[in-house]
Amino acid sequence: MALLSVEDLVVRFRTRDGTIHAVNGVSFALEEGERLGLVGESGCGKSVTNLAIIRLLPKPAGRLEGGRVVFDSVDLAGLSEGDLREIRGRDIAMIFQDPMTSLNPVLTIEEQLVETISAHRKVTKADARKRAIELLQMVGIPSPESRLSEFPHQFSGGMRQRVMIAIALALEPKLLIADEPTTALDVTIQAQVLDLLRNLTTEGKTALVLITHDLGVVAGMTQRINVMYAGFIVESATTADVFDRPSHPYTVGLLHSIPKINAEPGEELLPIEGRPPDMRRAPTGCPFAPRCAWRLDVCWSENPGLQPVEAGAPVILTGPTATHRIACHNPPTAAEAEAGKPLRAEFQPAPPPAGYIDELSGSRLGDAGIDAELGAELSGDASPYASAGGLPIEADIHEDGAGRTGHTGHAP
Amino acid sequence: MIDPNVRQGGSRETAGDGSGEGARDGADGALLRVEDLKVYFPIRTGLVISRHVGDIRAVDGVSFTVKRGETLGLVGESGCGKTTTGRAIVRLYDPTEGRILFDGTDVAGLKGRELTRMRRRMQMIFQDPYSSLDPRQTAGGTIREPLEIHNVGTARERRERVRELLSIVGLNPDYADRYPHEFSGGQRQRIGVARALALEPDLVVADEPISALDVSIQAQIINLLERLQGRLQLTYLFIAHDLSVVRHISDRIAVMYLGRIVEVAPSKELNQTPLHPYTVALLSAIPVPDPKVEARRRRIILKGDVPSPVNPPSGCRFHTRCWLRERLGNPERCVEEDPMLRTLATGHEVACHFAEEIKTGRAAATVAAVTPPAAEHERAIPGDAATAAQAGPATPPSMPPASA
Repeated sequence: MALLSVEDLVVRFRTRDGTIHAVNGVSFALEEGERLGLVGESGCGKSVTNLAIIRLLPKPAGRLEGGRVVFDSVDLAGLSEGDLREIRGRDIAMIFQDPMTSLNPVLTIEEQLVETISAHRKVTKADARKRAIELLQMVGIPSPESRLSEFPHQFSGGMRQRVMIAIALALEPKLLIADEPTTALDVTIQAQVLDLLRNLTTEGKTALVLITHDLGVVAGMTQRINVMYAGFIVESATTADVFDRPSHPYTVGLLHSIPKINAEPGEELLPIEGRPPDMRRAPTGCPFAPRCAWRLDVCWSENPGLQPVEAGAPVILTGPTATHRIACHNPPTAAEAEAGKPLRAEFQPAPPPAGYIDELSGSRLGDAGIDAELGAELSGDASPYASAGGLPIEADIHEDGAGRTGHTGHAP
Repeated sequence: MIDPNVRQGGSRETAGDGSGEGARDGADGALLRVEDLKVYFPIRTGLVISRHVGDIRAVDGVSFTVKRGETLGLVGESGCGKTTTGRAIVRLYDPTEGRILFDGTDVAGLKGRELTRMRRRMQMIFQDPYSSLDPRQTAGGTIREPLEIHNVGTARERRERVRELLSIVGLNPDYADRYPHEFSGGQRQRIGVARALALEPDLVVADEPISALDVSIQAQIINLLERLQGRLQLTYLFIAHDLSVVRHISDRIAVMYLGRIVEVAPSKELNQTPLHPYTVALLSAIPVPDPKVEARRRRIILKGDVPSPVNPPSGCRFHTRCWLRERLGNPERCVEEDPMLRTLATGHEVACHFAEEIKTGRAAATVAAVTPPAAEHERAIPGDAATAAQAGPATPPSMPPASA
């Protein structure tokens, strides 16, 4: 029995501008002590998935419209608010992106740590304080006794995130959800905090869900990865498989969008043209189809759902032998994944069906403009994703607000 | 294109005020030469009578040059002074001391009309496309504004120019009448780029132009900036904290720490043979999107935080966090003597008293002594083990084991 099992989670937000389809049927499982990465860009639903798991969706806009979350053999949907509160903090802890907004600025660190401990355990004040000092020591805060009485603003960003980690781990939770824990930090401080998180979660039995946009961070921190796009999991595999054999066009595109460490100077990146879909549109077909260089006609109308990459392979959801699954009708071959574009002779991405309204066309048309101006040397090869031209321009709607959790501003 | 006075091509007459500098800079191809730049922000106390009690030394003696047509990357962590340096160059901040020679003219002391005229040749792209655009002005209005300020062209020509600029940056020219909220982050940043290019500047200071954008959009903007550079012969000062992006786009990289430049080198060289202990640590801290490399490599985890720029450490500013100094038995020299930038290889300057320890690999020998021989072949290299393996006999930079 998995520690956490999420089945067909659907989350929508009702807003003045319409319904946001933030999470559209997400399922995954997690074993005790396992470390899972949820990777995707802003608005892909990765944070909302986790807020839905611990039932912290912003009310009244956010609604869990379907699915089940079973944690430690308990269906969380059936629990009262009081019982849930017991579980949050004690069994499931969260770390958010911005430690300044998630710590209370008018309480000392001691009050916040002791509060967490005594809310769930019957301990004397002295014992709680002792535990607080231990925790601060554990997360590497020098002279913890004297720093206990300080306020969050007296700590630096990295130190605040350490305090957050101390609070999250105060009760030795079974599951730690870290939502972009290092995004607000500098690289050298990020390295410190990741190092700490890695040590704390590999030593204990705490399972980790790490939500991030940074493929580098998940590469070093997790055992399995779910890649999310527009409220769907599009690729699910062990960390090694995702990087060795990326099989969904979106994952392939993401890996080609970041500068390679040993790239030759002057080597162009292969960006994914266009931008994420408008989440107000009820999903039809594959969500990535409008930006995909491998799309077929069927992609516009049918979402394939997660299937094993090797057809017919048994589906193992968790652990080091988890099945590599993707949601794709026409997955890139290994050579194509390496090249970042389709290599089949004469392959053309399928044009959109008649009457298709596309909100991405603005930037794509623009890129066609660049190519026209710069001449032939840039056209065609520059990006496989640019070849989707000819879409009618109807609406140009910005991508924001879909599935944002709202603790901080823009994602980097 | 509209205004014949706007430069066409690289060479142009140097303004008279720079007298004599122009010839020299022309000779080595430097468009921008910054000499001992200092920018201090005063700290004042007292409500009624304000007293000057100290300074935040954001930039404290920075010198570098940017050649015509090249991209110089300026990296460092938050608070290191990289943004302040960029803003002082385009004179959004007033330098406290030092010279900023732009095409031979010292812009540090320019005022009024002369400054306005100079600014036409250097433009800035800002980090946050959400807050750097006026929400009540259309995209066209934003791009047109510099043309109006500098009286370039007639209203009709400006309109044409706006359309042209929009298509140059990959936006539909018909979007000129739209407001910023109608655009996505990536498109907004394209508007920011178009605005910066409106006056056909020589130098573009790009301050974290992509860090507010999603990964897949970042690559679009990087490619756009690279294409525009080739096409318009632009010179970039590219400021960012993300070394992996900087080394992709830059010809040379300058690494800043606490108001100083600690290392300057060609991009590839900095990546493969960093010589300053801070650069080594910075490179080792970047997460690599490859689980095999991640599992193998050792990080240098720097202890503590960046000290306050109000009261920087004596001697070498990095000595409070330096792993190399610790390894060498904490020599006093680091505390007492402020290291100057010195040239250790062609175009490779370092401000460290003991950079040779890294260069010759003597620090690496120390590593070998503490690392079991079996693990020797796995000794990670800053950046990427695979890179160095391919690089073959190139001197592998030393790397201490993870913070013990």
